[in-house]
Amino acid sequence: MEMFLMAICLSMLGFAVTAVAFGAATRSAETAPEEQPVQQPVVEIAPARFFADDATIPAMSMQARVPIEALLLQIDNHVRLEQAAAESFLAYPTAALLHGRTISTLVQ
Amino acid sequence: MNSGAPDLLRGLSPQEVGQVLALGTRMQVPSGSEVFGLGSPAGSVYVIERGLIRLTLPMQVRGRDEDILVEERTAGQTVGWSALIPPYRFTLKATAPVETEVIALSRDALQAHFDANPGAAYSIALNLAAVIGQRLQLFQAMWLREMQRLVELRCV
Repeated sequence: MEMFLMAICLSMLGFAVTAVAFGAATRSAETAPEEQPVQQPVVEIAPARFFADDATIPAMSMQARVPIEALLLQIDNHVRLEQAAAESFLAYPTAALLHGRTISTLVQ
Repeated sequence: MNSGAPDLLRGLSPQEVGQVLALGTRMQVPSGSEVFGLGSPAGSVYVIERGLIRLTLPMQVRGRDEDILVEERTAGQTVGWSALIPPYRFTLKATAPVETEVIALSRDALQAHFDANPGAAYSIALNLAAVIGQRLQLFQAMWLREMQRLVELRCV
């Protein structure tokens, strides 16, 4: 009889331990997806900034490699093109002419 | 010079144009020479007879002061209208990139002529307003184009 009671107690204890372990495992599985969405935007934003910087840095370093005389000629050319564009706008003022695209190498 | 009257003297009779130009001093400007400097006292306006005048402002380019083109004026056009408008100081630098010939009209000589010829003075004042107004409108448009580019760059 004592042996039977001991077996029942041990079984109950084992069941309780299993239930607690199952509960803990179930809670951690539920909270994990809640944390993921918070981290996910950070992962998504980082590459976007990286690519933006990646595009501008070579353009800037390319301008830095242009000899100053060539750069000054580019500026001269840019001013002439901008004046021509502005004169076209003044001759026939429309929003399209005001914001017409330039072929200036300085801003391409 | 162009077949027509200079922009400053438009609307005047050929005789009146001759009278005004006779007040001036013809100057040969060698290639690369300065006609007037930024901030210097403005005593004369210059009618370009032949050649080209570059109007510039200083700008830092890679740590160096460089004269950056603002406008180019050719034969028949006028530069240096600061000589007729207080505080009589040039707000740009003018140089001749090629051999150029100008007629320098001093403010004193012009004012004496205006006193004696109010009709001519009125026409010249209107022409001067047109030159200044055209530059203002031109630069408004250029400034807005730059603003548009800046906004597009910032919004990328």
